[in-house]
Amino acid sequence: MKRKLMIIGAMIGISPLLYSFCGFYVSKADGTLKNKTSQVILVRDGNRTVITMYNDFKGDTKDFAMVVPVPVVLQKSDIHVVEPSIFQRLNDYSAPRLVEYWDQNPCEKYAYDELKQMAPTSAMSKSEDKASGNIRAKDLGVKVEAKYLVGEYDILILSAKESGGLKEWLTTNGYKIPAGAEEVLDPYIKSNLKFFVVKVNEKEKQKLNNNFLRPIQINFNSPKFMLPIRLGMANADGDQDLIVYAFTRKGRIECTNYRNVNIPTGQHIPLFVQNNFSAFYSNLFDKQWNNEDKSVGFLEYAWDVSPQNYLKCDPCVAEAPSEQDLVQSGVWWLKNKDWNDYSDIDNDEPDNGRKNVHFTRLHFRYNRSSFPQDLMFQVTPNTENYQARYVITHPATGDLNCDAGRKYLQDLRKRRKNELVQLTALTGRNLDNWEEQASVDNEDEKMSNVQYATLLPEVKADMAGNGNGPRGILLISALLLGTAGFLRWKGVV
Amino acid sequence: MPTLPVFRDARYFQIIFQVVFLTYGIYYLHWSAEWWLYLTYLTASGVTQLFFSIFFKPKPAILFSTDWNRQFMRTVPSFLISSLGLSLLLKTNQWPVAILAAVVSIASKYLIRIRGKHLFNPSALGIVTAVYLTGQAWISPAQWGSNMVILFGVLCLGFIVTTRVQKLDVSLAFLLTFAGLLFYRQVVYLGWPMDFFIQSVSTGSLLLFSFFMITDPKTTPDHPWARIGWAVAIAIAAFYLATFKFMNGAPIWVLVFAQPLVPVLDRIFPAKKFEWDNREKTTPKEKQFLQAVYTHAVM
Repeated sequence: MKRKLMIIGAMIGISPLLYSFCGFYVSKADGTLKNKTSQVILVRDGNRTVITMYNDFKGDTKDFAMVVPVPVVLQKSDIHVVEPSIFQRLNDYSAPRLVEYWDQNPCEKYAYDELKQMAPTSAMSKSEDKASGNIRAKDLGVKVEAKYLVGEYDILILSAKESGGLKEWLTTNGYKIPAGAEEVLDPYIKSNLKFFVVKVNEKEKQKLNNNFLRPIQINFNSPKFMLPIRLGMANADGDQDLIVYAFTRKGRIECTNYRNVNIPTGQHIPLFVQNNFSAFYSNLFDKQWNNEDKSVGFLEYAWDVSPQNYLKCDPCVAEAPSEQDLVQSGVWWLKNKDWNDYSDIDNDEPDNGRKNVHFTRLHFRYNRSSFPQDLMFQVTPNTENYQARYVITHPATGDLNCDAGRKYLQDLRKRRKNELVQLTALTGRNLDNWEEQASVDNEDEKMSNVQYATLLPEVKADMAGNGNGPRGILLISALLLGTAGFLRWKGVV
Repeated sequence: MPTLPVFRDARYFQIIFQVVFLTYGIYYLHWSAEWWLYLTYLTASGVTQLFFSIFFKPKPAILFSTDWNRQFMRTVPSFLISSLGLSLLLKTNQWPVAILAAVVSIASKYLIRIRGKHLFNPSALGIVTAVYLTGQAWISPAQWGSNMVILFGVLCLGFIVTTRVQKLDVSLAFLLTFAGLLFYRQVVYLGWPMDFFIQSVSTGSLLLFSFFMITDPKTTPDHPWARIGWAVAIAIAAFYLATFKFMNGAPIWVLVFAQPLVPVLDRIFPAKKFEWDNREKTTPKEKQFLQAVYTHAVM
């Protein structure tokens, strides 16, 4: 028998910093398990947090279990299962987008302005979470605090006195803990966290008659607003992506212990990128992530998605989340009926802003060395909208043989050269990498001197001697300051 | 040795520091540069300063008279420093909030004074007022990242400035207490690995606070031991709030609330009132330099 245990950490503790959240596989077999993209929905207002976790576990449900560190012993009413489609909808809605414009023929009288959107294809793989195994509490300082059946899951809530005991307990019950996990568990236990073990109840699973596992949603009260990721690094020997979809009443969320950077947006890029926008964006992300020294969270989208807000996206690449979607994501303040235990929350502000919902999409790529701490967040009053948006423009068609037309072709040539420069700047890929795609683009014979394939070598030549910008300026400033300080110290000035 | 004219007034030195930090943030760390916000801070500070320079200090002057000109020109670096300090720290989407912060910063220098010292660090007060009174402004503690390069740079630059008036005791007392408590909590008690701890103390925000904000001798106690005790108390309170109450920007908050204690401590622990260097042979020019640095030391 083979079992896998996945630990997702939802935690809170007393430590000043954060604890972990996403994806920690424990395998009984010595297989190579690795997390890929995790997706999490965070809903936060006042001291209440709702976390919905989606993981890309694939395999037999019998082989899978999940352990989630939580700040308190959760009640049954604090745990729900939701439909996985909600993640797909949020991803489609907020993913980086390519927008398309058409030039009008300057030689023709009529004009048509058109704007189309193309949905990017940053598909996230579906996950299946499976759990199995019979877990017995033993005298290892491990205590079963509660036991629930929620949806297709059997849930146990454990508290442990020390990581050794917890580890032994898990081992005795047939779960193999990867090297390094014990060290990670220890600080969590000392911070008084509980762990809940989730596994699949096969009987309930069969009743559902579907072949996937639904995301689990938990909610609790705690001043700490964080996402434990450290646990997920226990056996991850590479970079892991995490997408956070956050909803608050006040404004954007931002990370408080790693830098927040807006992913570049609004650039005009060559037409041929439309053939492979996902590749373009993934190159762009790689480049920006490396450029920013890796320890950063990228903002990909921020928007006011309040039910009363008319403009939920501009342009929209997919349907905006409906009120029902929001409620399903855990936005409790839109529900007419509050949570059963909601009475203890002290956020009864006046009507002003009661129904506001602000959405933030953050993209992290973490690894052990760049992210020594879990992710900490704050809700800011920043209500500005933001989207990662890239623009392609189709050239005018038809006969361009007039004065305005010739002028247009000149401008087009210039513009396309800029687009190529932009492309390398954004993706960090040498222009050679794009040659093949550029040459696929076959337009009118007449336009040959504005074709990307023609322009590419020219741009390459132009770019041959390019220096480094701000870094140099900063070095000089630092040098000047240092000298000034030194002179000051020596009493020269 | 000859003196370079630009360094005769130390406040220009301070301005260069701030401009370098802002440039670093915008161009290297890719902050989303809010030019309108920086401009609002600048304008509002300037107008407020203008107002007070006419009606308050030291005597009301006639607008655009030679006297007034000279007087006002002397205050130009001062409000530049205040508005740069706000630009570096305080973010908001709302221009009225930006104006409020700037006005509070400048006005507090003139209106809240005890024994000839202004009570609050101007920027700190402006920030706390805007964040907690309006709820429409925020600070981003992680905006500097945890880059070791900036740690080193800030440390050195801060060190040079600070040692000049022997106020390094405040910085070190605060920093060592704060870092020590964090170390005990994170590494010794909870058992996190070292890089966890390093990440928490190598943030630019903490170092800027330690070397540029808490050190203002005008708003620290005069007696050395009172001063150190005061810094330690701030560190403990900030540690507590950050660790157990999960407060962002706790040191700034605590500092503002600890500043009214300064006159009390000065009374209990009498000491020679702060003189711009009372033990070394400093030239008057240098004294002027140091005085200027510390009157306006605000990040």
